[in-house]
Formats: sequence, structure tokens, C-alpha cells
Amino acid sequence: MYRVLFTREKKQVEVAEGTTILEAERLAGLLPDAPCGGAGTCGKCRVIVNGQTVKACRTKICEDLKVDTTAASALEDAVILTEGFSRPVAFRPGIAVHAVRLEKTVPGDKRSDWERMLKSLFDAGVPEAEHFLPDPKLASSLYERCQKGGSWYVLHTDQEILDLRSEKGNLCFAAFDIGTTTLAGYLLDAENGQVLAVESRMNPQAQYGADVIMRSDYALAHGTKELSECIQREINDMIGCLAEQADRDRRDILQVCVVGNTCMHHLFLGISPASLVHAPYTPAISQSMTFRAAQYGLSVHPKGQLFMLPNIAGYVGADTSGCLLAIRPDLKEEITLLLDIGTNGEMILGNRERLVTCSTAAGPAFEGAKIECGMRGTEGAVDHVSYENGTWHYTTIGNRPAVGLCGSGLLDLTAQLLLHGFMDENGSLESGQDDPKRFMLVPPEASGNERGVYLTQKDIREVQLAKAAIAAGIRILMQTLSVTEGDIACLYIAGAFGNYMDPISAGTIGLIPRSLTGRIKPVGNAAGEGAKIALLNAEERKRTDALTKHVEFVELAALAEFQDCFVDELEFPLS
Amino acid sequence: MELLEKLRQAIERGHPNEAERLACTALDSRIDPLFIVDDAMMPAMRSVGERYKNDEADILRILAAARSVRICFELIEKRRLPFAQKHIGTIILGTIEGDLHDVGKNLVAIMFRSAGFRVVDLGVDISEKKFLKAVAETPDVSIVCISSLLSTTLPEMEQTVKALRRNDPKKRYRIMVGGGAVTRQAAEQMGADAYTENCVEAAEVAKTFIV
Repeated sequence: MYRVLFTREKKQVEVAEGTTILEAERLAGLLPDAPCGGAGTCGKCRVIVNGQTVKACRTKICEDLKVDTTAASALEDAVILTEGFSRPVAFRPGIAVHAVRLEKTVPGDKRSDWERMLKSLFDAGVPEAEHFLPDPKLASSLYERCQKGGSWYVLHTDQEILDLRSEKGNLCFAAFDIGTTTLAGYLLDAENGQVLAVESRMNPQAQYGADVIMRSDYALAHGTKELSECIQREINDMIGCLAEQADRDRRDILQVCVVGNTCMHHLFLGISPASLVHAPYTPAISQSMTFRAAQYGLSVHPKGQLFMLPNIAGYVGADTSGCLLAIRPDLKEEITLLLDIGTNGEMILGNRERLVTCSTAAGPAFEGAKIECGMRGTEGAVDHVSYENGTWHYTTIGNRPAVGLCGSGLLDLTAQLLLHGFMDENGSLESGQDDPKRFMLVPPEASGNERGVYLTQKDIREVQLAKAAIAAGIRILMQTLSVTEGDIACLYIAGAFGNYMDPISAGTIGLIPRSLTGRIKPVGNAAGEGAKIALLNAEERKRTDALTKHVEFVELAALAEFQDCFVDELEFPLS
Repeated sequence: MELLEKLRQAIERGHPNEAERLACTALDSRIDPLFIVDDAMMPAMRSVGERYKNDEADILRILAAARSVRICFELIEKRRLPFAQKHIGTIILGTIEGDLHDVGKNLVAIMFRSAGFRVVDLGVDISEKKFLKAVAETPDVSIVCISSLLSTTLPEMEQTVKALRRNDPKKRYRIMVGGGAVTRQAAEQMGADAYTENCVEAAEVAKTFIV
């Protein structure tokens, strides 16, 4: 056995000879970033050992080691979108609190304590109380409470009693959006719906692979247990942080709502993703579900409820159901397009008559992966670029020296290169610099690293693939509904990239139809907003099943027209 | 033949609409489809492949060229014009069971055709059984080619490769695998005869199997 000390985290583990450093990191409870799943191809797991940078997944341990993980730590400060645009909804949560008087029973009254309490509740204006099933644990406390007498608070839903308390407490709700890459959590006040605290994290499942396919591979080979425990633990930890931030007691959280793409949804519940990743790609479960939060490792109120919003199709998940709730295009006369750009681009087009949806594999280019100088939206990322009078200008996140390009910076740079003739509509780069197939935006001496920030011909190809997938998806949906760009009244863009990107640049490279650039509304984390709405208004939550059934799904992989559209959209539009 | 030369260039540059128009004109003026295929479509595709190898063209250009070629093939088929193309061999091709993705597989099919092969394209989501059935129905098959994009379907691919192997003790055909999910290592492990990283290489390797 060898001892491995992680100097930055001050954690030590003992491992057998031949264990890789990546495995040791996991054993130590660290959250190594290994988007390639330990295949040795992505290089994101780099650590420093004996003054040398090595790939943690490829380095076997054969002596006592000190490991410095600073090289890989950029992950922790990513800007994750937790702000959203809220559709006004009536505050009608699925829990209510009623004060009832409990009194000693009198001789001759043969009713049970439970029945008498329900009657008090009924008299307090809760007609459905008649049908509440008995709860043995609560019932066994009734004798003592009746002896004490006085006023008690009944916390209940329309189905059951959750708690009986002498003090009401500061009741709250928690909403979560489980993204493949990032997690967003919100704590809401159950009295008025106000957001009390917000917390975002990176999804710790990243250590098992960057995308849903890799994680599914892992789940199919090793079972879902590790992956589901990993995410449940993280969400539970976020609950603790949210409660602490707002100075609330986590046991006062009565309801939790979780959304996520279909794979994240399945893995959170420990459902095998086998059907998701084999044609014809259907979810194992679509309909909405209600559980006790404790069943899934969340420690909130002991009878706290967990709501899972419904999935729509294999690659259109509960997160999209959340987006639907946040926008409710089914209530509008006008035609709207809702676009959620992440690793997959999900979109919904239509109005009250008809809604169609599809999911396209946009790939991770706009999230910084597969781009030579690409990075997530952390400090030092170039986030906006412009070109005026022969001079390039750029800004970086946190105003730090530039170290890479995040999605919005990549988009701007591509648009400017196209607009100013450094690149033709086929995406062929003529940078006019020493290497015509590479455009140096920030030379090494002006950057925060040794290599500078630049864009290569290969990077542009990745942008073309991502852009074509989304643009072709939009076109197929428009064809399905027989509508044109002119018919679309509003384009709602959800997700972090959608929120930070410049709509004009998006139109310039043809990511979205150019005529729509004036009709874009960024809506932030719409999936998370939907999860909040489900908690704030029980009717809305109950309506999601009907709402998602009403949405028609277009499977692009099976559609020959999609491939043609895709190839057409590989070109950039001419100005 | 100036018209065919123009068609060749349109395909090479990846302009499907122009290629369609020129192919229509060629067919209208009663040029033998065999010439259209042999003197315009095939050389264009081969030249795009060549340029890809030399780093002068990329996968996007190949996609656009392939789409142009496919449109031309469809035009010829639509007019029910019989043409007797000579083939250097027959390839059975399909995307493995559990996977519906075929952009890559279709590209490979076009490259095989351009290299002079007859291609029996089984489509997507093809089970072990369907591959075995196709092999039985195609006595002159010389190569079976299986594609997969989703790594979650690799177990199915491995099973199919092994079943095809067992089915063919006399080594009548070779087995090639490829696609986004497959690596050289995985291909060797499952016992395939060849793996290639891209469609251009695939056509070249396929040719070496024909003696």
C-alpha cells in the first residue's frame, strides 16, 4: 500500500500498487474532471507530481506520492446560470398549513384520535381531509397532544398530512436542475415563493465521463449505483448549503422538485439508461412521479416530497418539460420557438394549436470542449470579441488576462472573422497572419498563459458542426409545422450559452435564422424556472403530464431530410 | 465532354443544387448514365478523398460532395435507366442494432461506390440476424462493414462480428468496423479484420481486400 497526499485539499488516502492517480482522487472524495472517462484523451485530469505535470488517469502509483491538483482546478469557479426569467404564476403551492384545536376525548365519543383530528381539519376548511389516510407514527403522538390540548399546526397536501407541529416553522421548498455539466439549486420560501438562496455546482458525475453516452456506458458496465449515489449525495449537500445560506432548517423543506435531461433524470433515480442509448431511444419512465425525498438520499423534512417532472422523449427530458412550464407556449396564440442550447440542443416550436420538439447533437463546442483554446466560462475566458477600424477588441470574464475562449467568445470571434473576410462561407480561414490557418487573437505575451488565445481551422469546423445541427433542427421543426421564420413571433433562448451569447453574432454565423435576431428573449435557466413554478403552483405541476403528452416529437436521426438540411447548414450565410 | 467536366467540378466543390441541374441536363441529352457515373461522379468523389488525405479538404467538403453524388444517383434511379456498371466487389454495410445514426455510414457507402464497389446498404439499427441473413443472400459478398456512433452499442457490434466470424469458416468475406464509437483497440478486441478512422481510408483498405 502507498500513501498519496493531495496537498491542495490536504487529504490523504492509502492505495494498492498500480492504482491510478485518478482512482486515488475519487477514493479521496475529490471531484476530478475527466470528461473522457479516463481514456487518456482529453488531458483535463492533469495533476502535478514531483514537479511534473501528468495525466492522472494514465499515471499508476508505485511509491508514496504528493499530488498537486492545481492544474485541474479551474473547474471550480465556472459561471453557472442560476438566474432565470420568471413567468408570473399565481402562488398556489401544493402544501397548506391549518391551525386546529386538539382536545381530550369525552366518554361516549367512540371516534379515534385520528378521526377527531381530521374532523377538526375538515371544520377548519379542508374538505379533502375526510380522505386522508392514517399515518401510524403521527397518530401515536395524538394521545399526548390531545391531553395537552390547545392549538396545533397541521401541515398537509391535498392527499395527506405531512406533520403536526406546535410551531409552524419557516417552511420552504427546493428546486434543482441537474445538467450534464452543471447543477443549479434554489431554495424558495413556502410562505410567499421568494427565492431565499441559490447554489450552483459542477455535476460530480463528470468523473465518469463528460457526456450522457459515456456515463451510460459506465452505468451499463457497472450498474447505476455509483452514479446515482454520487449525484444524490451532491444534491443533498447542496440542500445543506442552501439552508445554511438562508439560515433555515433543512427539515423545514417540505417539497423538492428535480428536473434534468432524460439521462440525468434516470441516473438520479437509479434507473438504467439502457433504453435511452439504444435505438429507438425511449425513456424507461416518462410520466411525472412523486416520492419521499428520503428514498433518494435527500435529507429534508422526514415526510418531504420529491417531485420528478415528466420526460418528453429519449433525448427531450424533464428539463425541457421545465422550460415548457416556464414559457407555456401552449397558452399563446403566436408561434414561439424555445431553444435550450447545451451539449444537446433541445427545441420546441409552435403555439396553442400544436407543439413539436426535437433534440440535436450540437456537441460541446460552445461549452468549450473540442476547441483548442476552448474553456468553460471561468475567469480569464474571452467572452466577447469585436473588430473595429482594423483593431481587435475583447473582454474577459473577471477582467483577467486571457487564457482561452468560452462559448460566447468563440461565437463572436467566428462571426467577426466571417464579417471581415478572414474566413469565407465555407469556413475556410485566411487569417492573414504567419500561419493563415490559425488566427491569433491574444498573442502569448499578452495572455495569461504561454500559448496565447487563438482559433484554428479545425476549431471552425467544430463550430460549423454545432451550428449546423441546431440550425437544421430549427428548419426541420419549421417544415414540420409548415411555418416560416416570419411566422415566429419570439425566440426564447435558455441555457448559459444562450444567455451570454450575442444574438447578432448568432445570426451572423447562421446558428439561428438571421431575421429572428431582433426577436430573441434570453430566458436564463428556464429548466430551473420550470422546477420552481412546479413548486409554487401545484396546478401547473399537475398539468405537466398533459402538457408534455401534447408535444409531438420528431426523431431527427431517422430523418433523411435532416441530413440534407444539416449539410446545407454547414456553410455560413453570406452577408 | 464539357458537361460532365462541369458536373465533376460541381460535385468536387460540393454544390448539390448545381450538380442536380447538370446531371438532369446530361440525362436529358441522353448521355449514358454509365458515363455520368464513371467520368463525373466517381472521379469527383475520388479527388475529394485524395484532397482530404492531403489535408486540403475536410469532412465538411466530403459531406457536401457526397450529398451531390447521392442526388445524382437518385436522379438516375428515378428515371429507371439501366446501366451496367462493372464492380470490383460487393460490400454489405449497415449501422449496428441500437443505433439510428447514419451520416457517417452513408459517407462510407458513397466512398465505396466511388471506389467501384457494389454496396448493399442495409440501413440503420441492423441486428446480428439481419447481417447474417444479408450475407446468406449475397453470395458474392467480399466485405461486411458495420458502423456505430454510440459507444453503448459496442457490445452488440462485438457480438455481431463474432457471429459473422463463426458463420464464415472459409473466410469468404472480411469484416470492417468504424464510426464514432469504435477505436482501433476495440476493433482488434472484437476480432474485426480492419478499422479505419475515416471514409477515405475505408475505401482504400477495402480495395486491398480485393485481389
